Amino acid sequence: MPAKISAKIEQLTRRFGKFVAVNRVSLEVYQGEIFGFLGANGAGKTTLIRMLSGLLTPSSGSATVAGFDVMRESEAVKKNIGYMSQRFSLYADLTVEENMEFYGGIYGLPNHAIQAWKNAFFEKVGLTPFVRRLTHDVPLGFKQRLALGCALIHNPPVLFLDEPTSGVDPEARREFWNLLYELADQGKTIFVTTHFMDEAEYCHRVAFMRLGNLVIYGTPTELKRKFNQTSMQDVFLKLSGSEEDKE
Amino acid sequence: MNLSFRRVWAITRKEFLHIIHDSRTLALVFLMPILQLILYGYALNLEIQRVDMAVIDYSRSTASRHLIETFNGSRFFRLFELNENPSQVGTLFKERKAKVAMVIPPDFARKIRKRFTTPVQFLVDASDANAATLIRNYCNRVILTYNINSGNKIQLPFNMGSTVFFNPNFTSAYFFVPGLIAMILIMISALLTSVTIARERETGTLEQILVSPIKPAEIMIGKVFPYIFLAFLDASMILAFGAFGFKIPFVGSLTLLLILSILYIILSLSLGLLISTVASSQQVAMMIAQTATVLPTIMLSGLIFPIASMPKWLQYLTYIIPARFYLLIVRGIVLKGSLLAELLTPIAVLVVMTVLFLIAAVWKFQINLEK
Amino acid sequence: MRQILAMMRKEFKQIFRDRSMVAIIFLIPVIQLFILANAITLDVMHIKLLVADLDNSRVSREMIQAFSHTKRFDIVGMTRNLDGIRRDFRSWRAQMVLIIPPKFGRNLERRLNPRIQFDVDGVDGNTAGVALGYARGILTQFGETILQNPGWRASLQGVHLISMEERMWYNPELDSRQFIIPGIVVVLLTLLPMMLSSMSLVKEKETGTLEQLIVTPMKKYELILGKLIPFLILSYVELTLVMVIAIFFFHIAMNGSYFLLGELSFVYLFTTLGLGIFISTVTSSQQQAMFLSWFISIFIILMSGFFIPIENMPDVLQKLTYLNPMRYFMYIVRDIFQKGSGLKYLLQDAIPMTAYGVFVLSVSVLKFRKRVE
Repeated sequence: MPAKISAKIEQLTRRFGKFVAVNRVSLEVYQGEIFGFLGANGAGKTTLIRMLSGLLTPSSGSATVAGFDVMRESEAVKKNIGYMSQRFSLYADLTVEENMEFYGGIYGLPNHAIQAWKNAFFEKVGLTPFVRRLTHDVPLGFKQRLALGCALIHNPPVLFLDEPTSGVDPEARREFWNLLYELADQGKTIFVTTHFMDEAEYCHRVAFMRLGNLVIYGTPTELKRKFNQTSMQDVFLKLSGSEEDKE
Repeated sequence: MNLSFRRVWAITRKEFLHIIHDSRTLALVFLMPILQLILYGYALNLEIQRVDMAVIDYSRSTASRHLIETFNGSRFFRLFELNENPSQVGTLFKERKAKVAMVIPPDFARKIRKRFTTPVQFLVDASDANAATLIRNYCNRVILTYNINSGNKIQLPFNMGSTVFFNPNFTSAYFFVPGLIAMILIMISALLTSVTIARERETGTLEQILVSPIKPAEIMIGKVFPYIFLAFLDASMILAFGAFGFKIPFVGSLTLLLILSILYIILSLSLGLLISTVASSQQVAMMIAQTATVLPTIMLSGLIFPIASMPKWLQYLTYIIPARFYLLIVRGIVLKGSLLAELLTPIAVLVVMTVLFLIAAVWKFQINLEK
Repeated sequence: MRQILAMMRKEFKQIFRDRSMVAIIFLIPVIQLFILANAITLDVMHIKLLVADLDNSRVSREMIQAFSHTKRFDIVGMTRNLDGIRRDFRSWRAQMVLIIPPKFGRNLERRLNPRIQFDVDGVDGNTAGVALGYARGILTQFGETILQNPGWRASLQGVHLISMEERMWYNPELDSRQFIIPGIVVVLLTLLPMMLSSMSLVKEKETGTLEQLIVTPMKKYELILGKLIPFLILSYVELTLVMVIAIFFFHIAMNGSYFLLGELSFVYLFTTLGLGIFISTVTSSQQQAMFLSWFISIFIILMSGFFIPIENMPDVLQKLTYLNPMRYFMYIVRDIFQKGSGLKYLLQDAIPMTAYGVFVLSVSVLKFRKRVE
């Protein structure tokens, strides 16, 4: 594993009024890693990712992403990350290629660079037949790929994916993960939240979150051994179970 | 039809909860009428408070001072002297320091003793044509006073007398405040119901309700009931405000008004239902409801602007606006004590409209269900 | 710069792809212009007059003719039943009744000063007052013609009257369209930019694309400018469209400088676009945004002097109108159109309006955060 740190999180906390959404989370994530956040809805996964991508200001603690402080240098952070939310935030009333061109423009890329990326990416993920279709009319799996393409257009070293596979069929999910591996091999660091336990197996390392706390993290193999289970699904059940026992 | 009260009530209860939880709708339902009462009751005043008048007096005689005094003594004008020539009046108008200028000619004193009529010039800033008309009328009234006061024994060969029925002081709130009911009722009944049904469709809950054993008619009755209740609440609020705040008398039969208002509400609800069946989303429903009900009700129903003064083609257009007819009913009953027999024409029109809208709405709703 | 252009291109594409949006921007204002221009009039015409001629003499018939010759009155019928008048009012058949008493003609000849009676339905106070004024005017004229007859001349001895010689400046015909249509221009330059900017920002919020924009390195001002410039351009197109119709179709006189109008519109548009951004920051769905902008617009239109002169309002309400940005622009546009006023005369409105615009825009831009909370 390459030792270059891509994100360093220390005691990161976010409160909404009295509610603590993320409670003193500390982590180090390395370049080229696919790092998964697991947990039930409301566990704090999305809040954590939003803080790391500069969307939310942390209440306390600190974090650096791609070498920049998320509090003080959030604009520099934004230049170095790609972000894809579970809603695949695309403009339904623009065509597939117009969406791509728009995000390219937003990142200030010159036109030839946008065209080059667009053609290469569409070819690779099979979006070429849809280029002139309204995004509204494109199947969900392709919307997902388009959203990923938009998030990658400025070639960011770090990628945040918030539930990137929700609602997508298994076939498309598998292809999506193949894409992620390819990106990781190119040296990109990928943060991904999911509630699919089979996807947890695909991650290099995973962290379980519960009620804002980081319960445990490690490689899937480590975790399975530690809890003496054969699948991540069982690890998760075991974890939830043991938590309940404590209550 | 075999309607279950329990099922209707379930829908009604749910709808009430929606309304209570939605502070914006609540604000719309209660704040809007109050704001409009204030605006229509106080701001919709068609009398100018005081008009600034510049006086250019070339005569400087007892007679001219007497004329100026008469103007000063009237409650309509605020006078100031201007020692410049009339060509400066344009500047004055542009600076908005005066709306009218009176120019008394040098030979005024001489002429007024000899001639039958002596002209005095009034320059009026007619950039607001309505205000200019009012100013002209005020000037005429003051001149009339002057003519009578200066010892003229002018007498027409006949007398004129007048009796004003129902509203002897010409209070404008009498006209506007009960008229508001027409607008509030259609706003709540058509606008809100169309949006609420469109919302159910958008969120998929309509489908959920439809798979239950409930009948479409039960849904509709259950859904509209809270809005009828709110509409009545608003209408009573307006009437109470009118009676106690603006001292508007209620002359006619409350029962008659109530019954005819139900007719109007049913009409508005069918319109709302119809809108919701053709609208694909809440937003579209709202757009249509606004342009089809609220705006025409304000502009083309006779609520504010007299229909008789509009061009013919626009007058024909007003015949399709329900509020036009309901206004005759509500103003008639509240202010004049109109009886059922005297309102047959507007009632007949409302009935016909209701039947048409209802048929169209139910028909369209059925089609949508089968899709 | 490239970011702003990308944003603008996207906005234009979205607007023109949506047919209902194009209709809202270009068709509805034109329809509104035609309807409002004709509907908003406080002229009192075609008053429903019922005549009770209990005399039926030559002079009474002449008197009735004096009423039938004017557009002010429509004679809706003749009656002999004075007890039925109340009922005629209650059924909205008549607004006014002219009652000529029995033996009117004969008593007139005998110089007995017979009395003409008007019964008026006072429910519509404004119309009733004006109608009564018109009726008296017609009868006064009628009486004066009688006085001109040889037999009556003597009674005019020693009478010296003042007459009113009026000059209506800027609008000699008192055509209310001349000031309503410039007012509509103001209304459209208020509604459209406010709705467009609030709805489009809230729509991005709703669909999550705003979040996506926020994680890009795009600056806040680039985002807002990229949004506002297309709406600004569209508002100008709209202004031009409405002006062309006003001038060539309705023959509205434009006495002032187009350049000045364009310039001050620019300032005003920033206020209304700013209001739109503000609305988008306090609402979370398009429906709410629409409700709120609608609510605001009804209020500011009524309080702008658009069809109720501000001078008519009670003092408290008059003072309240100083808080209304539309009030200033209403004066500016009407004065430019009708009086041809130059900037010198309009500073009294332009200065507070500009201050208002700067205030509203900076508050809304500050309130618009490049973070989600």
